[in-house]
Amino acid sequence: MSGVVPDLESLEVEARDAIAAANSPQQLVEVRASFLGRKGSISAQLRRIGELPDAERGVFGQAVNASKARVEAWVAERKRSLERAVQDQAIASRDLDVTLPSALPPRGRLHPVTRLEREMAQFFRGLGFSIEEGPEVETEYHCFEALNIPADHPARDLQDTFFVEGGHVLRTHTSPVQIRAMTGRQPPFRFIAPGRVYRHDYDATHSPMFHQIEGFLVDESTTFGDLKGILYSFARHLMGPDVELRFRAHYFPFTEPSAEMDFRWGDRWLEWGGCGMIHPKVLENCGIDPERYQGFAFGMGIDRAAMDRFGVPNIHLLFDGDMRVLEQI
Amino acid sequence: MRVGLGWLAEFIALPDSQVELEERLTLGGLEIEGVARTGPDLDEIRVGHVLEREQHPDADRLSVCKVDLGGDEPLSIVCGAPNVAAGQKVAVATPGTILPDGTKLKKSKIRGVASMGMICSASELGLSDEHDGIMVLDAAAQVGRPIAEYVSAGQVVLDLEITPNRGDWASMLGVAREVRAQFGGSIKLPPTQPCESGSAAADLIRIEIEDNAGCHRYAGRVVHGVKVGPSPEWLVEKVEAAGMRSINIVVDITNLVLLEFGQPLHAFDLSMLTDAVIRVRSAAPGEPIETLDGVERKLEAGDLVIADAKRAIAIAGVMGGAATEVGESTTDILLESAHFAPTRIRKTARRLGLFTEASYRFERGVDHEGVVRAADRAARLLAELAGGEVATGVVEARGDPVSHCDRVEIPVAKANRMLGTELTATEMITLLERVDIDANEVRGILSCSVPSYRGDISIPVDIVEEVARVYGYDRLPTTLPSARLDSPAVPTSYTMADRVRDSLVASGLYETRSFPGISSKDWDAIRLPDDDPRRQSVRIVNPIVEENAEMRTTLVPSLLHAAQGNFARQVADVRLFEVAHVFLPTAGDALPREEQRVTALITRPQRASLWEQVDSRDLFFDAKGIAEVLLRDLNREPVFKTGTAESFLHPGASVSVVSGGQTIGTVGELHPEVAAYFEIDVPCALIDLSLHQLERISAKPSKFEAVSRQPAASRDIAVILSQDRPAGELLEAIRKTAGSALVSVGVFDRYAGKGVPEGKVSLGVRMVFQRVDRTMKDSEVSKLVDRIVSMLAHKFDGELRSGS
Repeated sequence: MSGVVPDLESLEVEARDAIAAANSPQQLVEVRASFLGRKGSISAQLRRIGELPDAERGVFGQAVNASKARVEAWVAERKRSLERAVQDQAIASRDLDVTLPSALPPRGRLHPVTRLEREMAQFFRGLGFSIEEGPEVETEYHCFEALNIPADHPARDLQDTFFVEGGHVLRTHTSPVQIRAMTGRQPPFRFIAPGRVYRHDYDATHSPMFHQIEGFLVDESTTFGDLKGILYSFARHLMGPDVELRFRAHYFPFTEPSAEMDFRWGDRWLEWGGCGMIHPKVLENCGIDPERYQGFAFGMGIDRAAMDRFGVPNIHLLFDGDMRVLEQI
Repeated sequence: MRVGLGWLAEFIALPDSQVELEERLTLGGLEIEGVARTGPDLDEIRVGHVLEREQHPDADRLSVCKVDLGGDEPLSIVCGAPNVAAGQKVAVATPGTILPDGTKLKKSKIRGVASMGMICSASELGLSDEHDGIMVLDAAAQVGRPIAEYVSAGQVVLDLEITPNRGDWASMLGVAREVRAQFGGSIKLPPTQPCESGSAAADLIRIEIEDNAGCHRYAGRVVHGVKVGPSPEWLVEKVEAAGMRSINIVVDITNLVLLEFGQPLHAFDLSMLTDAVIRVRSAAPGEPIETLDGVERKLEAGDLVIADAKRAIAIAGVMGGAATEVGESTTDILLESAHFAPTRIRKTARRLGLFTEASYRFERGVDHEGVVRAADRAARLLAELAGGEVATGVVEARGDPVSHCDRVEIPVAKANRMLGTELTATEMITLLERVDIDANEVRGILSCSVPSYRGDISIPVDIVEEVARVYGYDRLPTTLPSARLDSPAVPTSYTMADRVRDSLVASGLYETRSFPGISSKDWDAIRLPDDDPRRQSVRIVNPIVEENAEMRTTLVPSLLHAAQGNFARQVADVRLFEVAHVFLPTAGDALPREEQRVTALITRPQRASLWEQVDSRDLFFDAKGIAEVLLRDLNREPVFKTGTAESFLHPGASVSVVSGGQTIGTVGELHPEVAAYFEIDVPCALIDLSLHQLERISAKPSKFEAVSRQPAASRDIAVILSQDRPAGELLEAIRKTAGSALVSVGVFDRYAGKGVPEGKVSLGVRMVFQRVDRTMKDSEVSKLVDRIVSMLAHKFDGELRSGS
């Protein structure tokens, strides 16, 4: 035995050196073959087993197999390290100029007014308010008379109206939807009506088209306090928990008592919208008994809220389809 | 309405804090729109403390003062006034300040001594005409503060917005009443009773009301011997502070009384009246009158006029006539104080476009009990200020009584139920007292007597509002309504619009919103045929500009204008859509039919850079892809039919969109002529769909289909076929032939040219086969492919390209 084992040991050392010296996967394959291949020098040791006395064969066989396993492990390790080197090399050689422009996925965006409108509608839908829509070209009856704004009344001056051929008008507010929704229905009900409205007005702060959201709720014991409560919750939903509102007495022909509401913006109060208890004549015009039912209505602009939120200085920037504007807000 | 606080204070004691005054009036509904100050602008002039005064070395009459302005160092200022002395607090202007007379102060050297500012006299500050030296301020004035805090210069003028229901607020008295409502106090009225003398007015003038519905009351007073000249300074100031022009003493007095009481007055030159008679009547059709503004006007029946025996001499409640105008030679005056029907005045004023201080108030309703008082007040002032003698008595005529509601009843409980409050009857009575409403309670019902000037109060809820207003909206409880739980109803059209927007946004488009008025020129611009029904539109009668007069019947021009605008701004990458109504005229009085549509527009900018590759695919396919995805997102089957009737699209690069057997829109590249009109010089494609029609096509809800775990087999073939065979038909035929084992089929290559015969095209088709239940054998796939190939040969005259 003493003559055999050192032979194996030196082969192992030889193999270890050769494996370490192999500089490519191909060389490594060749090195492995020269030791462990069918004609490899370690494999050849096994063939010597027949020359040994029976008693030594077992031990010798085990020694050769152990030696083979060790060499095999070195080969595997060297292989991994060579592969890693190749990969490292590949990684090292790829060096992008990452400051080149990104490949942008195609993307678009909803109009800021749509986004605000959805946010507003979401609040009220959560409270069970239904959505109602109405025509944008309206009858004078729905837009004015039914809302207690008679012809030849100074209240008509509050709204500069577009008239169309055929004696109709472009609705000046979303309030005619109140009439359409309430006529033929009996309370209790609650609705919101967002949409486009039109006024004959054009300057830096007025666009002939803008957007409002109308809301109304009618039941037997709905109070002005309820109106305040709903609008406070709504304001908190839109503007955060610390929002401050104030309600000022005002005049609208279709509500009484009427109020305008302002929210605090820094040290100023900004007008937010109008509201009030639905005027008994309006309820009557819709076939609802004002002795039994009462309710509130409110309406507010969406555009101003969008302009404030995104810092848009001029309302017309919202409506002329300028990609440079739409891409940033 | 502009209200000077100095003047207002003559009617009622004001609270010390102007901020509080402004806030409470605003909260009560009398909104402050702006605050101005009359008199010189003294913001830059500061309080200085004269520390030392020395004689100027080279001038006997000048002194050199060291003045502390609150800065680090006192300033050295040369002063010529004899009364300057150490220890005084004075008004100092520093270099850069613009003095009230418009001169800008500069650093200067006076006789060799540098002067760092100016110690001002009252006349230099525009506060007085006297020239007796510098102005010495109160010793308590704080150094460095603006002198405006210590000197009264002019008065604060509030600009009030008066809501249309509260015409009674359009006077000093009205605003004073609102101050009382908010702060309490008592009102001091200016003296009204004139000293009368001589003959009875009734002998000098007759007043006849012929139009009883148009004129409820008419009071006249006669004043003799008036000297018409300029008004005294205080009167000019008051009238001008209110934003009116001073004319002469007579006109200024009528305006003053209008401002004081809100009752419009008119002064006629009595000598110019024919037969000394006033007739209030309806105008004859076409009746002429030259008004005070020098304009010859034609009246219509229904216009209310003041006439004498011969002709109209004033348009009632709107404007006087030139013929009886008070001028310098006038001595005898007839003062008119009347109460006209608001709607009549409004109609005439609107028709003539003549909105005056008088018509403004008459439209909104004036106090019918204040008619005589105002005439008295003006007569008294004419006597006091213009040397007039007031004839004895008021001549008065009455038409139909004013419809004024004197008494309103409301249950206390009802008021509380509306406001959410628990106020007692006594509390409500106290609140109502503040607005002159006398109320008492009997068995839970408040009976309220309405003052004559409150024409806006006639029903119970009007009283509720007054209670709330005086109580303060901010003090009303804040509660939440209780309501039955119910799921909200949302119209299909609303949901549809939202889903369409979401899909297009996901496809990389931006939403726009535009005014729906377009120009009739746009019909030609988009090449609509002459008989296209969309040329029939609803017209805006009073458009802002003619280009916006037609309510759009299609959204296409709006999107093209938006694209054009972007191009003009050198933005060539346009990806826009709009969801909006179009307006289609209907017969008779009916409202136009509104149809919700979506139109999208995309361009492909030609700006190849080394980095960004320009796609060479026809833009049409991008648009078709967006439409296809949109329809899928809406769970509608997308079907595109070759060719479209839309004349604004390229005939060779457009399709109709069909769903549920109906044509619901079009997709295509823009027609070159239309592109040229809108100056769009890059590829541009449109999608135009009717959401209204789409709504009516039933949706096919998305459903799960089993996904296979078996390996898939892919096969490519290249088929040569005639160029005019649509690839869509070929793919459809392959799908049919292959059946359910074919999971996808697509075109990976389309080639015509060398190697492919003239008039033919080679389509590279990739097919993927896979079954859910088992692995497909190679032979099975080959058999299917063979079947497909023979089908293509048979039906499409297609042959396999060699090598595939």
